[in-house]
Parts: sequence; structure tokens; C-alpha cells
Amino acid sequence: MKKHILIFSIISVFFGCKNDKKDNGKLNIVTTTTMITDLVKNIGGDYINVQGLMGSGVDPHLYKASEGDVSKLVNADIIFYNGLHLEGKLVEVFEKMEKSNKTPIALAEEIDKSTLIGSDYFASNYDPHVWFDIDYFISFGREVSRVLQENDPENAQIYEENWQNYYKLLLSLKADIILKIEELPKEKRILVTAHDAFNYFGKAYDFEVVGLQGLSTATEAGVQDVQKLAAFIIEKNVKAIFVESSVPKRTIEALQAAVKSKGHEVTIGGTLYSDALGNAGSEEGTYIGMFKYNVNTIVNALK
Amino acid sequence: MSNAQIEIQLIASLVAIACAIPGTFLVLRKMAMISDAISHSILPGIVVGFFITQDLNSPLLILLAALTGVITVVLVERIQKTGLVKEDTAIGLVFPALFSIGVIMIAKNANDVHLDVDAVLLGELAFAPFDRLFISGTDVGPKSLWIIGSILVITVGLLIAFFKELKVSTFDAGLAASLGFSPALIHYGLMTVSSVTTVGAFDAVGAILVVALMIAPAASAYLLTTDLKKMLGLAIVFGVLSAISGYWFAHWLDASIAGSITTMLGVLFLIMYLFAPSKGLIAVIYREKQQRIEVSLLTFLLHLRNHDDERERHVNHLNEHINWQKVRSKTVLDLALKNNMIDINNKIVSLTSKGDEFTSQAIDYIITNEDAQIEDMKDDFFLFRG
Repeated sequence: MKKHILIFSIISVFFGCKNDKKDNGKLNIVTTTTMITDLVKNIGGDYINVQGLMGSGVDPHLYKASEGDVSKLVNADIIFYNGLHLEGKLVEVFEKMEKSNKTPIALAEEIDKSTLIGSDYFASNYDPHVWFDIDYFISFGREVSRVLQENDPENAQIYEENWQNYYKLLLSLKADIILKIEELPKEKRILVTAHDAFNYFGKAYDFEVVGLQGLSTATEAGVQDVQKLAAFIIEKNVKAIFVESSVPKRTIEALQAAVKSKGHEVTIGGTLYSDALGNAGSEEGTYIGMFKYNVNTIVNALK
Repeated sequence: MSNAQIEIQLIASLVAIACAIPGTFLVLRKMAMISDAISHSILPGIVVGFFITQDLNSPLLILLAALTGVITVVLVERIQKTGLVKEDTAIGLVFPALFSIGVIMIAKNANDVHLDVDAVLLGELAFAPFDRLFISGTDVGPKSLWIIGSILVITVGLLIAFFKELKVSTFDAGLAASLGFSPALIHYGLMTVSSVTTVGAFDAVGAILVVALMIAPAASAYLLTTDLKKMLGLAIVFGVLSAISGYWFAHWLDASIAGSITTMLGVLFLIMYLFAPSKGLIAVIYREKQQRIEVSLLTFLLHLRNHDDERERHVNHLNEHINWQKVRSKTVLDLALKNNMIDINNKIVSLTSKGDEFTSQAIDYIITNEDAQIEDMKDDFFLFRG
């Protein structure tokens, strides 16, 4: 047995490491979060193979690889990921891949760092949830389109067209949601959620955002945090607080109970999609659908 | 099968072998829990090493972690020697303390350290093929394959060089000392190897899987054999088997590889626990049942020998006169008939000459308790096996 393994190891060491690039002429793209998967699919269409590592409802901070992810990564030509340490240990893996014949692209790393929101929790010191500002997501799209055109010049024209079409959709999405948010008077724009995923949303669309858990979903909220936030909710007379699809309900329910114990009432306004989109095939399974759903939920609950 | 898949199975198999060797000795020395303690208490060593070198792959990390592992063992023994607490309590006192020191050190420096408790306790085998070693620009394979390979070579080398010493000191420390080699030295040597293996493997497969790979194959092998060499061999085979079957289990389920391997180790142990030929649960139950019947048969034969009265030997009255509750009298009667120990005439049971002889030999044995008395019976009858 041992001998076999030894021979096996020698063979693999000497003959290993040759992957076929491009089967059936299409680029193989691996993406991490569902937002990025949706974006890349919109730009690449049928001209590329896109495989997302994280499904809907998967928390990127706590993502664990499965066996199937290995072959996805092995066959990948280009990897699009968020970066800014959103994907935890995966980011290190991608960084190491730069040495081999794969092209990992950290979309959020391309953004001008001075415009980002700082954080104490992430190693990079930036809040990674940038996709909640549509302008940043547009810069994601521009980068994806550029990389695809560069790696597959034959279809460059198509990628450019797809991107321009999608770009228009994103612009109209932005106009729509700004209109929707206008329905809400400024003093009512307070968004209380389980973890700090919505800071960019707040900055871009003029909300005060308060998270219970801090940026990483890995940390747990303390009793003091809950009490402080409950006092804040009562003081500002916030009507509703929100659950997130990738974070357990428990913490937000604890907050609701804390507010109730002080003699006030706060409703749970609904479930927001934060770190992952909804189920594939549903309206909320796309970036645009998710964004509209979130904004409608927030505005309707706080009105 | 792609190259990455082969490499993952290869790394998992090498880790399994590297773990099975020290694991076998740990199980034999009744120190299985020490590997769990080491896997946690190496954390401060790794953190300090990381602070010094700023590189997670530096050999200094392995060295410092191994040192913390040995410190753990020393501390456990010191506390144990006070006589105030037992060994398991001492282990439970030492490793959480050391582990939490590591956690606090990470927490204090969380901003610039790419190191968290998760990364230490749960490595990611799926990513191991993507962290490659380059020598002057040439890709020579996954880094963890080389690390684990080197540790394995050292472990096997030490095993071959010190096999006799290890064997003697494991089974008879006093004899080892009188033969002139220090059991303490061998003991700490083994602990160092265990620590180094744990550290070398944690980044690739995670400490939990390391503990499982150290203990489960050795414990399974111990159910099958008491021969040290065979046990080592079986532990290695079991480890590799679980590693590879666990990988394909993960492939089939599209699940975590380390989790699947650990599951396979559990399943393997369960199978051995149930079906091992002599120590397995089913074998033990079967043997106990056999023994009950044998004892009943002997009681029955003695009864016949002691009573000439026909009333006492009537088939229908046997149940009353011998207080059989557990074993059905029919089973015993059939068994005695089959072995030509009794005759039944007109429902009256009497001993044959063979039965008579057997019974007197059995009485001799019961009185003297000397094995020589029953040597001849062993072949003739099914009694007194083992």
C-alpha cells in the first residue's frame, strides 16, 4: 500500500499540473457570491460557462468548500470574486492561484480605496459589502466586461453589447429606487439589521444604518449591544427592523424582545437579502430583482 | 480523475499514514486524548511563530508548535504527579488554558493576522492542490504534499530506527529502563513526533481530522489484532482506506472532504466494533451465549452423575430439579445427545461412559483449576475454549 502511494506521488509530482484550458471553446468562469455570478452571466451570456461557488442563502464569511468546488476551480480560466476579505480563506487561495495559469480578479479591489468605508473587523480595513451601492456594482460590471473582452477577443463585440444593455438596466434601477426612497421622509430613513452589510446602501441612498453584529457574521452580538440598540430604536421611534437571508433570525428577534420589554413595539419589517441573492429562477435571484425587493421591503415597512 | 482530485487523495492518504504511526502508540499507551490536547494547545506556538516570521508556512512555526505540544505533555504530567488530579483531568486543565492564550493573542492582533481559530481547527483539503510549491519557477506540486511527505519520511525513519525501544517502553517501561534506554526519552520523542505531525497537517486537513486520523484507525486495528506490527499495518490501511473512500463519499454528496473522511473513520470503527472476529460486539454476545449453554450443560451432567434415583432423571422433571431459568432444557438435552454424553430410555436420562468420563474430568478441572486436566477434552468437546 505504502509503495503504491509513493509511486503515485512521484508520478503526480512529475506529470501533474496540466489543465486543459477552454473546453468547447468557451471560457470557464468561476464566481464566488451570487451577485457576481448574476453579473457575469448577464455580460457573458451563452458565450461563457459560469459556475458560482456559493449558492443562494450562503454566507460568504462562513462558506465551506465542498468536493465539487475543487473541479470547478481546477477548470477555471478566470475567477471573479469580491475581495476585501469578504470570502475569508478563499481569498488567500485565489491570491496563491495567481502563480498558476489562472486569472483571479478581485472586483472590489479595483475600486478607489479612498471612497470605501473603513472597518475594524476586516484585515484589509475596508467594508467589503460594496455591491449595495449601484455605482460600485457598475464598476464591477465594467471590469468584468473588460476582462472578458481581453481574454476572448473573438466575442468582444458581444460582451460589450451585453454590458451596455445591462448598464442601462442598472441605471434605470438606480433611478427607480431613488424615486421609491423619496417616498420616505428623511427622518424615517433608519435601517436596523442583524449585521453591518448595508453601510454602502446607507451612504449612497441617505439612510442611517445600524447593525447589531458588526461586519463579520462570524462574531456574535453581546447583550450590551442588544440593549444599546434597543434604546436607540425607542429614542428614534423606529417602526421596523429587518432580518437578513444569510443570518439567523434569532439575533433580530432578541432585539425585538428587548424593545418590547421596555414598553415599545417594533415590527420585523421583512427579510432582506444581504450577502446572497434569493433562489435562482425567482425575481430575487437576480441583482436587480433583489435590490428592488430590498428597497420595497424597507420603504414599505418604515413608511 | 483530474490531477487535483488525485493530489487531494494523495495528501489525505499521506496524512493518514503519518497520523496512524504515532496514533497506534498513543492508543496502546492509553494516551489518545493527548492528541486532542496537542492539536489545540499548539495554537499559541503557531501564533508566536507567526508573529516572529509573518509567514504561515515557515518551518519555525512547526518547530514552535511542536515545542508547545511537548510543553503540554510536560505540564499534564507535572499536574498529574501531584496526585491531586487524574490524568484526564490534568489534560482538561492544560489544553484549554494554552488554547485560550492562543485565541487571546489572535484576538488582540486580529487586524493584521490572516489567522483565525477556524483556520487552525478546520483546514480546507479542497484548496490544498491550489497552494503549490515553486522551485526556481517550476511547479513541483502542492506545498502540503511536500510538508506532509517530509514529516512522513521522518516518522517512518524514526519508527524503523527505534522500533524495538518503542515496543519495549510501550508495553513494559520498567524493562525498558533496566535494558538501558530511557522510557522518558522515548515518551517525549513520541510526543514530539505527534506534535510535529499535527502541526504539519493542520493547514492541509485541519486539526480535528488529524485527531480522528490518529485515533480511529489505531483503535479499529486494536480490535482486530494484538500484534504491534500487524496493528501498525492495519491502522495505516484503515487510515488510507477512510481517506480515499471519504473523498469519494464527499464527491458523491458534493460535501466537505474532511467531514466525509471523519465520517468514514467513524463508520469503519463502528463496523470493526460490531464485527471484529474476537473482540467485536457480535462475537462477544455469541461467545457469552455459548458459555451460558456450556455451563448449563455441565450443571446438567453433574446433576445426572449425582443422582441415581430415576425420579430425578425423568425428562419431564428436569426443569424442576435443576433450576434452569435462562437456558431452555431442550437445547441442553439436544447438545448432550449430539455429543453422545447421555442416553434417553423411556424418558429416563442416564450418562453414557463418555459423559461420565467428561464430567469427572470437568470436576477435576473445577477443583484443581489446572489447565493440564482438560488438555485432552479440548479436542473432543466444545467446552472450555479459549
